Amino acid sequence: MRAKDEHSAGEYQNAPDVDTPLHNGDTLLQDDINPFDMMLQKTGFTPVGLVGVILLLALPFIPPFNQEYLLRWLIYAAFIAAMSVGFDFTSGYINIVNFGYAAVMGYGGYTTSILAINLGLTPWIGILLGGVNAAVLGLAIGMTSLRLRGIFAACLSWFFGLALMGLATKMVWLTRGPLGLRVPRLFETESNLPFYYTIVILLLATYLICTSVVRSNMGLAFKAIGQNMDAARTSGINPVFYRVFNFTLSCALAGVLGGFYAHFYGILTPDIMQTSKTVEVLAVAYIGGRGSLWGGAVIAFPFIFIMEIVRSTLSNLPGLNLIIYALLLILVMIYYPGGFSYFFDEHLRKPKNRVLRYLMNGRQVN
Amino acid sequence: MMAMSEKFSLEFNLKAGENNFMSKNNKAFVGWIKSAPGITISGSIILAVFATIYSGPYILVNVIITGGMLALVATGLTLILGVLNIAMFAHGEYFMIGSLTAYYVFTPISNYVNENPDSILAITGPLIAIALSMISGAIAGVISEKIVFGPLRRRSTDNWVMNSFLLTVGLSVLLINLHQLIFGADFKGIVRYWGGMPTEIAGVFISRDRIMAFIISAFIVLVFWLFMTYTRTGRAIRAVSQDVTGAQIVGINIENIVLLTIALSCALSGVAGGSLLFMYPSYPTMGLEPLYMAWFVVILSGLGNILGAVVGAFMVALLKVMTVEYVGAGWDFVVPSILIMMVLIFKPSGIFGSEVRGVLDK
Repeated sequence: MRAKDEHSAGEYQNAPDVDTPLHNGDTLLQDDINPFDMMLQKTGFTPVGLVGVILLLALPFIPPFNQEYLLRWLIYAAFIAAMSVGFDFTSGYINIVNFGYAAVMGYGGYTTSILAINLGLTPWIGILLGGVNAAVLGLAIGMTSLRLRGIFAACLSWFFGLALMGLATKMVWLTRGPLGLRVPRLFETESNLPFYYTIVILLLATYLICTSVVRSNMGLAFKAIGQNMDAARTSGINPVFYRVFNFTLSCALAGVLGGFYAHFYGILTPDIMQTSKTVEVLAVAYIGGRGSLWGGAVIAFPFIFIMEIVRSTLSNLPGLNLIIYALLLILVMIYYPGGFSYFFDEHLRKPKNRVLRYLMNGRQVN
Repeated sequence: MMAMSEKFSLEFNLKAGENNFMSKNNKAFVGWIKSAPGITISGSIILAVFATIYSGPYILVNVIITGGMLALVATGLTLILGVLNIAMFAHGEYFMIGSLTAYYVFTPISNYVNENPDSILAITGPLIAIALSMISGAIAGVISEKIVFGPLRRRSTDNWVMNSFLLTVGLSVLLINLHQLIFGADFKGIVRYWGGMPTEIAGVFISRDRIMAFIISAFIVLVFWLFMTYTRTGRAIRAVSQDVTGAQIVGINIENIVLLTIALSCALSGVAGGSLLFMYPSYPTMGLEPLYMAWFVVILSGLGNILGAVVGAFMVALLKVMTVEYVGAGWDFVVPSILIMMVLIFKPSGIFGSEVRGVLDK
């Protein structure tokens, strides 16, 4: 309470830019805030974020969204949101675009599908094993791209993705090639509701894992490596460990999500490993805002909905939705490189009203 | 640091090799053979000869024709990388634009020729279509520079390589889907350009179109090389690629050079698409394959290295043709991409090293 009283309006005007939760994790005076706010601080949520999560959980019961096909869109949007969080974990922090991200996702999906089909393994364990397998792949990509920077590392991961997709297409005895695998679904129901809650939990888990890593000292090291690797080395950061760790974790997340994708749609073709899938995730992550993690997750929902609405209403104009998203990507890249999270931080995060301020930022202690 | 020091030492080795070349010819040749370019070039020549003896000369013909096309696309890609430092992901789309133009220009011409077989258009028609595909590629390049890259460059050049790369990703999606929206997703192809009986060379029948496609690509690459080496403008382009500030000091107009470079490189891609229309019909995502292959070439030969790109194009073509021949169709992404990954891992500067450094990224 003391901390809150010290914030007068005048002080706020002159105060240095109030830290985002990312940076003040260590400087909290933890005795001063109640357990609820502390929990929010620790997990990297703001009250408005929590409201968003609750809304997400309630959404399937709110009228327009309680139809099955809208629920499928929601599931797809949540899937893309989770993918964009994992993608941003690499591209927004260590500044290497993992261009084979969709292929890694598909690799995880194929792992669990093949285990489920050939060995009858339950999908729940299979999904985890898919994550582990994708983590091994991420380890390999991370290790092999160590000598490369920026665009070269992106190229390497891209070629990894191309090779994987080629393998998935050609190893017909294992993957049935372009015909696709028929994968058992995660739940034996017609309803999409359990799938929706699974993917929302996965989305939250992805976000929590990524934020907890990013808000530790490791996140600082990631940022340092991404901004200037030589300077980071000079200050004693060993980029080898951090880069490999980053790749491994983000690929593991992609693998788990790929497992969900396979067990949700029930069919898995090499098409999901295509570069265009990565581009879709990339567009969401960048329009949402680089290096924010939550930006892509928030923007994915309206974005996917607009795309799907355009696609289903203007079906006589094929490709129009992709034109819109390419235009959006180009415009954001040129004119607003910060994306949605920058817009939020600049224009919405600092209202004068104290309640709104609390909602946007959580309890702040200087 | 590790990568940097490694790169420097490699370049130093290459330089040492060149010095040898100056002093003693024989010793220099042995030195060159032992260097990375020597090993790969002689290795691929030996491989090509063996494959030709083993399976017949059509392998060589395929390699030469695919390589000629790849050389066009890859020189354009490497030029744009070397001078503008744009890692082009949309380069295949200019290939698509070229082939689309050639299709829409050539279809009426071929209808006319069918009615009047003796008209002069029977010979010049395809050339007109190919020339127009080149021009349309150049125009598309200029437009994308004006609308997309120029604004970004004026806005900020921080992290330029990555940002421009992502821009080209957006551009690629945009162009592919514009094609689909306006012209439809079906295959728009022609049966032949010149037609006529195939010519027999060393026991292989090669259609006249293929020969012409190779002649066109060889001619254009030669002209392009001469242009870059001997003309004032070509020297200006190379100067900009080496040091943009220095180029500005000696009075080179950077804006013009940038426009010219992007127009040239997209024109090269467009003409490749136009001259190969009889092999690859035009459809929205047709640009992906030349794009992948051109990237393989550029990584193999090193960024911004034009002559290296020509040699690399034939190597990648050999790799692709051999894969299709001995491993099976469809594997031609897997095997080359794994080999290129090896190159990236063990020799990130490319086999021929890259003497030309990029600008705008500091």
